[in-house]
Amino acid sequence: MPGNRPALTRREILEGCVALGSVAIVSSSPAWAMLNAFEQRETEHHRPTPPNEIGPFYKKNAPATSVLRAPGDPGMPLTVSGQVFNTRGDELSNAVLEVWQTDHLGHYDLDGYRYRAKVGLDSAAAYKFDSVMPGHYPDRVCQHVHFAVTAPGHKPLITQLYFATDPVFEGDPDHNFKRDPIIHSRELVRPVMLVGDPHDIQAAVRFELCLEIL
Amino acid sequence: MRSRVSGLLALLLLSLAGPLPGQNLKLEKNLTVPPDSEVKFAVISPKGDFVAAACKDGRVRLWAFPSGEQRQVFDLTDQPITALRFSDDGTLLGVGGDRGAGKIWAIPSGKLKLEFAVGVRVEALAFSPDRSLLAIARQEMPAQLWDLSMARLVTDLPAKFSGSLAVAFSPDGQRLVSADADTEIRIYEAQTGALRATNSDFLLETFAVAFSPDSKYVYVGGADKTITALDPISGKSVRAFPKQSFVVGDIQVSRDGKSIAATYFDEKGFSNPAPVLVWDVAAGTVRTTILQDGFTANGGGFLQKEDGRLLLTSSSTGRLQVWSVH
Repeated sequence: MPGNRPALTRREILEGCVALGSVAIVSSSPAWAMLNAFEQRETEHHRPTPPNEIGPFYKKNAPATSVLRAPGDPGMPLTVSGQVFNTRGDELSNAVLEVWQTDHLGHYDLDGYRYRAKVGLDSAAAYKFDSVMPGHYPDRVCQHVHFAVTAPGHKPLITQLYFATDPVFEGDPDHNFKRDPIIHSRELVRPVMLVGDPHDIQAAVRFELCLEIL
Repeated sequence: MRSRVSGLLALLLLSLAGPLPGQNLKLEKNLTVPPDSEVKFAVISPKGDFVAAACKDGRVRLWAFPSGEQRQVFDLTDQPITALRFSDDGTLLGVGGDRGAGKIWAIPSGKLKLEFAVGVRVEALAFSPDRSLLAIARQEMPAQLWDLSMARLVTDLPAKFSGSLAVAFSPDGQRLVSADADTEIRIYEAQTGALRATNSDFLLETFAVAFSPDSKYVYVGGADKTITALDPISGKSVRAFPKQSFVVGDIQVSRDGKSIAATYFDEKGFSNPAPVLVWDVAAGTVRTTILQDGFTANGGGFLQKEDGRLLLTSSSTGRLQVWSVH
């Protein structure tokens, strides 16, 4: 998982270790080649988040906020959180994250910006926003939240988040995720944690966003 | 646009359970398709002499109109058809698929002229007026400009993200316009694909672009429920028609430039009833409204004839129907 970057790079640390003898490279290849190979393996650890189509109702210039749910809004409260990083594990705190979804009845707001936001990231590229569980849009199979993530030097990520609790999956998203023909990857169907007492249930979902480096 | 919407729901052009009761609607032709190959959407050739239908069995069926004689059945490599377009003179028919395959056939001979593969879903196609160039709008990827005579890619037409939804060449062959999913309208030099102007006025996605016959305006419509005219040189918005209650799905300008026919859809459900409107360009008012119970219009399959008639297609199980409206 991505974390705070050390003051020294991995290469510098490894080179230091090799120089001090605390790491021995036993190979016919030179040390620099082995370090390159090590770093290459390191970069392969993070798979990019699968893309998913943008859909017809993206709206630009969404307000900067992390609170999409207004007081008194009907529907199950939902908190979505995660982190934005790249395939190398670098945190992308300068990324721009836009989200949009329907209300609890499955309606998109085209006239205004209800349930649309530009969500800020903290210094560790973590994000969190409060919303409601989206309803089923009449012409889609599954509940979903749209994401658009852009960051300099990275391929834009357009994707959608789905919920393992969606009744469409009948409790078995592993087998049933393709009931929505737009879902091409099981990875986009995320587990939902229900918290609170029976009179005040809230849903919480983690959704990590990993961008490809250009 | 068709494929973008059909990605959300299998798209029917005009879903009809039975004959339309509208007083101005006249059934011109019943065209039969096999029961297992329901029509997804259809297009009418610019001269009104052919109707082509993208069917759910992955085939394109071509009929002569008004005779109704079936002339061709084309295959597209085992993938759902998402784009269908005649060239302006009706001598070419381009087809694009959900996984990026495409073919272009000569009409009416049915001779295969070109095959292409662009990797991702083809959202829309457009031929230059001289049929030397092909623009391909792709899902999530830059639109592409192809040289048809050399069968080679000229260039990608990148947007900020997520591809294009509609493309059109100007009738004078000078400009190419793309409606991009980042909500911007980009105008290119048609021969080279060099970007010449960008319109950033649209907050929501646009799904339809069409030039006026004199190439002086490009009309744009989409989720803002408005048809807007742009200057294709500067890219600036110069005029907007009154906003409607429905999303603009497709637009077509008459050959004399005096009217615009537009199909609309309801963002609350694509199968909900939505109108086809014919706009008087000079007055900026709606001249004809076609909206009946059980009648949903989702773009394509319509043509304004020079005699003032509007041809529309509709589909139901086992048949495709062509209607005229006076």
